[in-house]
Parts: sequence; C-alpha cells; structure tokens
Amino acid sequence: MHLHIPDGVLPPLAWAPALAVALALFLWSGRARTGTRVLLAYQGALGALTLAAMAIEIPLGPLEYHLTLIGPLGVLLGPARAFQVLMIVNALLALLGHGGFTVVGLNALVLGAGAALARPAYRALARRLPPPASLALATALAQGASGILWLGVVSYALRAGGSTPGAAAPGSRLGLVAGLVFPMWLVGIIVESLVAFGVGRFLARVRPDLLPAPRAGVGASEGREAA
Amino acid sequence: MIELMSRIDYSASAGTTLWHRASALAKLIVAVALVGLAVFAPGLRLLAVLHALAWSLALSSRLPARLVAAAAFYPLAFTLLFVIGRWDGGWRTPLTLVLRPLTASLTAVWLVGTTPTPDLFAPVSRLLPRDAADALFLTYRALFELLGRTERLWRALRLRGGGSGPARRRLALAGEGVGTLVLYGFERSQRLVATMGLRGHSGRICGCRHYAEWACEDLAVAFIGALTLMSAALLWRAG
Repeated sequence: MHLHIPDGVLPPLAWAPALAVALALFLWSGRARTGTRVLLAYQGALGALTLAAMAIEIPLGPLEYHLTLIGPLGVLLGPARAFQVLMIVNALLALLGHGGFTVVGLNALVLGAGAALARPAYRALARRLPPPASLALATALAQGASGILWLGVVSYALRAGGSTPGAAAPGSRLGLVAGLVFPMWLVGIIVESLVAFGVGRFLARVRPDLLPAPRAGVGASEGREAA
Repeated sequence: MIELMSRIDYSASAGTTLWHRASALAKLIVAVALVGLAVFAPGLRLLAVLHALAWSLALSSRLPARLVAAAAFYPLAFTLLFVIGRWDGGWRTPLTLVLRPLTASLTAVWLVGTTPTPDLFAPVSRLLPRDAADALFLTYRALFELLGRTERLWRALRLRGGGSGPARRRLALAGEGVGTLVLYGFERSQRLVATMGLRGHSGRICGCRHYAEWACEDLAVAFIGALTLMSAALLWRAG
C-alpha cells in the first residue's frame, strides 16, 4: 500500500515526533558506517528501483496497483539500510508532490517498520522453506505490519483532527475509511507477496549469494562485502 | 510517474524564467516557509492567500500546465479519504483539508521544477552524515537509468505474453522482472564504484556549490518570502 499522506491533514502531534525520530534514525544509520562503497551504491540502486517500481502499474480489474517492494528491500539490505533508503525515497517523492514534506518521517517510519521485520522473518523462514516462499511470506508480514501501522496513523488523525489546534473531528467516519482501505490492504499484501516470490525465485536461481543466509549471523551480501 | 519525474527534471535544467536563475538556497527557504505556514495556518483567509501565492509561483515558472496539474492534484485522491473521514456537514473543514496539501504540492512543483536536483540536494547533503548524503546522490543518479530500464522491461514482458494468464502467474513473472533489475542494480553499483575510483573519487560526493550563488533574481524570491511572512503576520488571527 502506498502511504502518500499529504501535508496538513495530520495533527502536528502525529508527524512532528515521527519526523524527529526518523531524522535521528536516519542520522544514526548514516553514521553507523558498516558497509563499503559498493554496498552504498547498491543501496542507491535499490532505492532507485523502489522508485521505479512505484511507477509500474499492475492492472487488477478496474484498479491499478503500484508496487512498494518494502519486503524485498528489507530482506536484501537489512533494517538500517532499508530505512535509510525509504527515507530518501519518501523525500524524493515529497518533492514530486507524492506525500508531504512534514510526513516524510512518518511515512518512512511506517514503511521502515515493515522493512525491518522482513529480514529476521526471512531468515527464520528460510530454515524450513525455499527462498521464494520465504521471501514471499516475509514480504506479506512486512506489508501487513506497515498496513496496520498506516491504519493506526490514519485512525489517530481522524480522531484527533487536522493540524489546526482544537479542531476535533465531530463526524469522524473511521469505520467507513477502514472499510475502503481494508480491501486495498489485502490486495497489497497478496500482490507484493507474489511479486516477492518472483524476485526470490529469480535471485535463488541466478545469484543466491545476494539473499541473506537462513541462519542467524552475517548475511551473504554482507559477507561478500567483507570479502 | 516516470514521465512526471523525467519532465520535471528536464524543466528544472532547461527552463529560463527568473525562478530558474534564482539560487536554490533562497527558493528552498521560501518553500519551507510557505509549506510550514500552510500546514500551521489557523484560518482559511491566510490559507487562501498562501494558496494563491503557490499558484502564482507554479504558473509563473512556465512549467507545462499538465505537469503542474498532475503534480499538484495528486494529493487530492488521498486527501479525499480525510475529507470523507472528517466530514462535519460544513465547508470549512473540507476546504482546509484540500487547500493545505494543494498549497504544499504546488510549492514543491515550483521548487523542483525550477531547481536542478543536485543543486537542491547540495545544501541538504552538507547537514547529513557522509554515507547518508552519498546515498541521496547515488539514488538520484541511478534513478533515471533504472526508470528507462524498468519501462523497457515492462514493455518486453507484455510483448512476450507476461501480461496474460492468471494473476498469480503474471505477478510472479513481474517479480522475476524486478529480480533482474535487482541484479542489474548490484552489478551497476560495482561498476560505478570502480569508475569513481578510476576517476580519482575523493571518498565523498559533495555536489556543486551553485546553490548558494546569489543572483539579482533572488530579489524576486525575497519579495515572495516577504509577502508570505507579511500575510502570515496580518492574517494569522483573521480566521
């Protein structure tokens, strides 16, 4: 699910702390220099791919779905680097009017939380399942988690009112909004998981070393970097 | 979105209006002020003035009308969700909810449509740690190449029957296509770092310093900035 919350619809109490936390995490992940230049360039390429994938329109009957790829991104890069990528992607999208400037942090945190779950889930699943199925299930978990967080943010915004102080929402229709969003959330989980299955199938066949190792410890891509 | 990104990027570099000649830093400051005031504006009058200012900036930058409309109205779909959710029977809440994101997105279009992206990133990157700043430039650098590649891949996939059959097969095939792009991104990053090393890369991408080169066109930006602040001072309590 795309999370392009625009400027001015959320109360400052929702976006300001999130922006501060996201900036702190972004700066921390930037200072924690654990990778080589190749990994940094790879991270840039995957960030660009995330943006490019958002431009892909997958027709689903009368609707068109746009990919987010947070599952594969989280699995391939790990939580810290995936968060850095998502922060940059959201900032670039905000410059194009896709999501607001003030909510870059919130958008990155919600998507980043999903991406952060993906790698540990993949590693746990890959002990028993083949890589494509593990990547698909890890993506479903990531997508589901960020969807729930997204709905939480929207619910809070609808209950708390807009950015005008004291402007509570007397006619909040949370049920209606949830009813509109829930099917899209489910479709998002299914579509992203199937696409992740394809990504996993291809990488497992062609470059399995790009996928993290199933056991706990250093992932294959990090191992490559260290080598 | 591919077309939107490419055309905005092209307009930012090829445009000749006074906004294009003004410094990136001045425009960035005015844009932050406009968006910040629009988000916090307590009343509709101030919001309406800021909205009019944002429209005048976007239209005077001579960006193609379709481009301005596409970028500016994109947030409306999402805003509609909040308009429905917070409907109170009146017109003030929906209007406020619509004007705020519209003002912000119009300001964003003006900023990115008149400022080459490296100039826009350069001041921001000076505040960021090295890796984070470099990641910003490297993502932007990879973007247009990957956009073109994604477009070609998608066309090829459809031509070879990837767009037919049950949804499960189509989506898994699309995933394999994305997998080829991941692999390409990895190999490309290795080449890029090797090339940068050969060209004597110092270890940090600094961006250019054009962003802080002041020009007489900055007076126009300063005028808009003053107008924004004056409107806020006069209309903050006007309702």
